[in-house]
Amino acid sequence: MLEVFIFATLNGLVTGLLLFMLASGLTLIFSMMGVLNFAHASFYMLGAYFAFSISQYIGFWAGLIFAPLIVGVLGALVERYGLRRVHKSGHVAELVFTFGLAFLIEEIIQFVWGRDTKNYQYPDLLDFPLFTLFGQEFSAYRGFMIAISIGIFICLYRVLTKSRIGIIIQAAITHPNTVANLGHNVPLVFMGVFGVGTALAGLAGVIAGPVLTTFPGMAAVLGSIVFVIVVIGGLGSLAGAFIASLLIGLLQSYAIASDVGMADFLNLIGVSFERSHPLNDLWTLTLPQVAPILPYLLLVLVLVFRPTGLLGKREE
Amino acid sequence: MGLIKKLSVWIGYLVALLVAPLFFDSILAISILNQMTIAIIFALSYNMLLGQGGMLSFGHAVYFGLGGFLAVHALILIEHETVFFSITFIPAIGGIIGLLAAVFIGSFSTRKAGTVFAMISLGIGELVASSSLIFSDFFGGEAGISGDRTFGPLFFGFDFAQNIEIYYLSAVWVFIATIFMYLFTQTPAGRMANAVRENPERAEFIGYSARKVRFISFCASGLFAGIAGGLFALNYEFITEENLNAITSGRVLLMAYIGGLGYFIGPIIGAVILTLMNSLLSNYSELWMLYLGIMFLLTVMFLPKGFAGFIMMHQTAWVKGSLKQLAVPYLITGIPALLFSTACVAIIEMSASEEEVFHYLGMELNPHSIFTWVIAIIIVVASFYATRRSLLQLANAWESANEIPDSKDSES
Amino acid sequence: MSIILSLNNVRKNFGATEIIRGVSLDIKRGEKHAIIGPNGAGKSTLYHLISGRHNVTSGTIKFKDKEIQNKPPFEIARLGLARSFQVTNIFPRLNVFENIRCALLWSNDYRYSFWHLLGKQTELNEKAMHVLEQIGLKDKALYPSGELAYAQQRALELGIAVASDAELIMLDEPVAGMSHSEAENAVELIKRITQGKTLIMVEHDMNIVFDVADRISVLVYGELIATDEPKNIRANQKVQEAYLGEVATSA
Repeated sequence: MLEVFIFATLNGLVTGLLLFMLASGLTLIFSMMGVLNFAHASFYMLGAYFAFSISQYIGFWAGLIFAPLIVGVLGALVERYGLRRVHKSGHVAELVFTFGLAFLIEEIIQFVWGRDTKNYQYPDLLDFPLFTLFGQEFSAYRGFMIAISIGIFICLYRVLTKSRIGIIIQAAITHPNTVANLGHNVPLVFMGVFGVGTALAGLAGVIAGPVLTTFPGMAAVLGSIVFVIVVIGGLGSLAGAFIASLLIGLLQSYAIASDVGMADFLNLIGVSFERSHPLNDLWTLTLPQVAPILPYLLLVLVLVFRPTGLLGKREE
Repeated sequence: MGLIKKLSVWIGYLVALLVAPLFFDSILAISILNQMTIAIIFALSYNMLLGQGGMLSFGHAVYFGLGGFLAVHALILIEHETVFFSITFIPAIGGIIGLLAAVFIGSFSTRKAGTVFAMISLGIGELVASSSLIFSDFFGGEAGISGDRTFGPLFFGFDFAQNIEIYYLSAVWVFIATIFMYLFTQTPAGRMANAVRENPERAEFIGYSARKVRFISFCASGLFAGIAGGLFALNYEFITEENLNAITSGRVLLMAYIGGLGYFIGPIIGAVILTLMNSLLSNYSELWMLYLGIMFLLTVMFLPKGFAGFIMMHQTAWVKGSLKQLAVPYLITGIPALLFSTACVAIIEMSASEEEVFHYLGMELNPHSIFTWVIAIIIVVASFYATRRSLLQLANAWESANEIPDSKDSES
Repeated sequence: MSIILSLNNVRKNFGATEIIRGVSLDIKRGEKHAIIGPNGAGKSTLYHLISGRHNVTSGTIKFKDKEIQNKPPFEIARLGLARSFQVTNIFPRLNVFENIRCALLWSNDYRYSFWHLLGKQTELNEKAMHVLEQIGLKDKALYPSGELAYAQQRALELGIAVASDAELIMLDEPVAGMSHSEAENAVELIKRITQGKTLIMVEHDMNIVFDVADRISVLVYGELIATDEPKNIRANQKVQEAYLGEVATSA
C-alpha cells in the first residue's frame, strides 16, 4: 500500500511539474496579453518533434538546447505576424485564432512527420534506475525531469523578481498602459514573453516526449488539461497555476494507482445490482476509469463556485 | 417593399432547398446535400450563442450529440415497437433532449460570458465526451450505436429508405428551423441577447438580468443543436462519441466563423463551404485538413467578419453602382493570388506524394526532378511578388468605388 | 410632497477605506435634486449604491417605501429607477433606434418574450421614435450608435435613461466633456424630458446646477454636509469652506 502511495506521489510530482512548465508559460502570456493561448500545447508538441529530429542526427542533448529555441522563435513570429494583427478584433477573435493555430499545427506535424508514433528515446546516459524502493525502480530520466523542471522554476522566479526585465513584466501585468507610457516597448515585451512562454512549452515537450510518447495527438492529450490548470489556479496567477498543476498531477496519479470503484462503495453500504441492471456502467465504475475526467469535473466545480479560480483576482 | 423583399428571400431559400437535388442528383451529391442541411441548422444554432449572444462555446457538440444519441435510441425503440410514431418526428426528440441538456447546463454556465463561459463550455464538453466512453451500455463506446430508420408507420406512404427522401424531410426541417431562428432574432429576447453581448452591465440597468437573457439564448441554441443532431441520426442511422466531442465542437465554430458571425446568413454560407470542402476536397487530397486550417487562420486574420462580411463590404459600392469599377482591380490581384495558391498547393502535394508521376490540374509533374521544384518555387515567388504589388491599386480602386460623393452623412 | 427615495445612514467601505460615511437623504417626489461636491467625494459611488451596482456596507435605501439596497440593478430598474453614466455606456454595435427600443422593452411589459415580433409592435416603435425625436437623433435612427459624435452619444445615453418613463431619473454628469453650446442644448433637453419626474443629478458646472435644481446636497469626503435650497447653499459657510478650499488646492 505504502509503495503504491509513494510511487503514485512521485509520478504525480513528475506530471505536475511538467504541467506547470506548460502552465507557467500560458499564465505569463495570459497575464500580459489577456490571451488564453489555445495553441500552447501545440508548441509543446512541436518541441518534442523538433527534439526527436535533432536527436536523430546529432543527439538528445543538442535537441534539449536547440528545440526549445526554435519553438520560441516560432512563437515570437506567431505573435508578431499573427496574433498582433488579430488583436484589434478583440479577445474572442484572439482565442479563435489560437484555436485555429492549434488545429493547423497538428495538421502540419502530420504532414511533416507523419501520423505514426515516433520512436523518440531518452539518452543511454540516463537509462538506469535512480533508486529501487520495495522492489520497484524509479528511472533516472524521471529524476532528470524533476530536476529540469525545478531548475527552470528557480530561473523563472529569479528573472521575474530580481531582473530589470522581470520587474517590467510584472509591472506590465498589472498596469500595461503605465508601463507603455514610461517609454518601455510593450509590444516587444509581449513578443518576448510569448516567445519565452512557448519556448518553455517546447522544453516541456522535449523532456516529456520520450516518456509520454511523441505522436500527433500529444497536444490534445495535454492541451485542455493545461487550460484547466490555469483556470482552476486562477487566470494570471503563477502561484495558483503551480498549486493547480501539482493538484491535478497528483489527483490523476492517485486515481490511476487506486483500485477502488463504485462496487466497493456499494459493498460498503450493502447494496448490490445485477449485471443486467440498466445502469450497470455506473455501478461498475472504478476510480482509474474516471481519472481522465477528474480535471474537467474539478474545472466545472471551481468555475461554478469560484469563477476567479483558486488564487485568481481578476474576473473577466 | 421591405416585406416583399424579405418574403422573396425566404421563398428563394425554400426553392433552392427543394430544387437542389434535381441539379445535383448523384448519390454523392445527395449525401453532401444531406450533410449541408444538418450543418446549416447546427451552425445557425451555434451563432445564436457566439454571434448574437457573445458566448464563445467550445462544447456545442454536447447538445448536438446528446440529441443525436437519444434520437438513435428512439429509432431503436421504434424498431422494437416499444413506441409507435413516424420517424419524421425524430429531430423533435433530438431537439427536446438538446433543450433539456441546455436548461441544466445553462443554469450555471451562463452567469458570465467571456473567458469563464468559454472555459466552462470546454470543461463540460470534455466531461460529457469522456463520460460517454465510460458509459458504454448507453453510448456504445468507441463504436457508437446504430438504428434503422425504415421502421414505424409510413409517413404519407414514405418509408425513408432512400437518401433523397431523407433529404426532403431534412429540407423541411431546415427551412422551419431557419425561420424560427431568424424570428428569434426579431423578438425582445433575441434583441436583448445582442444588447447583453454589447454591454451586459447597461442591460441590467434597463431592467434585464444579463444571466437570464443569456440563459434563454443558450436554451434556444441547445434546442436547435439537438434538432440538428436528430437529423444526423436519421441521415446516418448511427452516431458515435465523435459527434459530441471537441472535434465536432471545433468544426461548428469553424463554420460559423468562416461564414461570418455578424450576419444571420453567415453560418449558412460557412456550413455550405465547409461541407463542400469536407466532402469534395477530401476526395482529391489527404491534406485537405491542412488547407482547411490555413484557410481558417487566414479568415480570422484578414476577414474577421467572415465570408458574409466580405460580401456585405460591397454594399456601399453596390448601392452606388460602382461595383464594376472593382472588377478589373480584383482580377489584377486575383489572378496572381490564385496562381500563388495553386503553386503552393502543388509544392505541398508534391512533397507529400510518393508517386513517380504526380498528376496536378491535368499536368504530369515529376516530383523527383529538381527542375519541377525550381519552376514551382519561381512561380510561387513571382506570383507572391505580383500579388503584393497589385494590392496598392486594389486599395485605391476600393477607395474610389466607395467614396461618398457629398457630405450626406458627415453633418447633422 | 411625499418622499420617493430615502437613504438612511448608508455606509460603504472598499477594504479598509470608508468611501461613504453615513449618508442620510430624502428625495421628494417631483423635485429636481443636485448632488455636488469635490472630486473623490463619493458621488459616483453613492449613485452605484442606489442603482445596485455596488452593495452597501450598512444602512438602508428605500425607493417608494421598498428597501432596495443590495438588490441587483435590474430589479431596481424595474421599480422605476433609471440612471445614466458618467462614461458613455451604450450598446455600440446596435443602431440608435435599437438602443432606445431596448430601453423601452421592460417597462412596456415585453419581459423576456420570444413570441412577440418587434417589427410588429407599432406602439412600441412609435414610442421609441418619439424618444429619438425628443433627444434630436431621429435622423440618426439607423446609424450604429458606436459611431456617433460624442455629444450625440451623450444624448443617446440620456435617452436610454429616460426612455423607460421611470419615476426617478439619476443623471451622472450629463454634460461632462461637452462644449458650451452643446451643454446648453443638453440642459434644455434635460429640463424638457424630465418634466413631471423626479430628477437627481451629479454635476460639476455650478451654473447648470443652480439653473436646474430645486434643492442641492453637498457631499464631501463621503458625508453630506448640507442639503438645502440653492440660495441657502450659496450662503452656507461650511459649503463655502469645503468648496473654496477644494478649488484653491486643486487649482
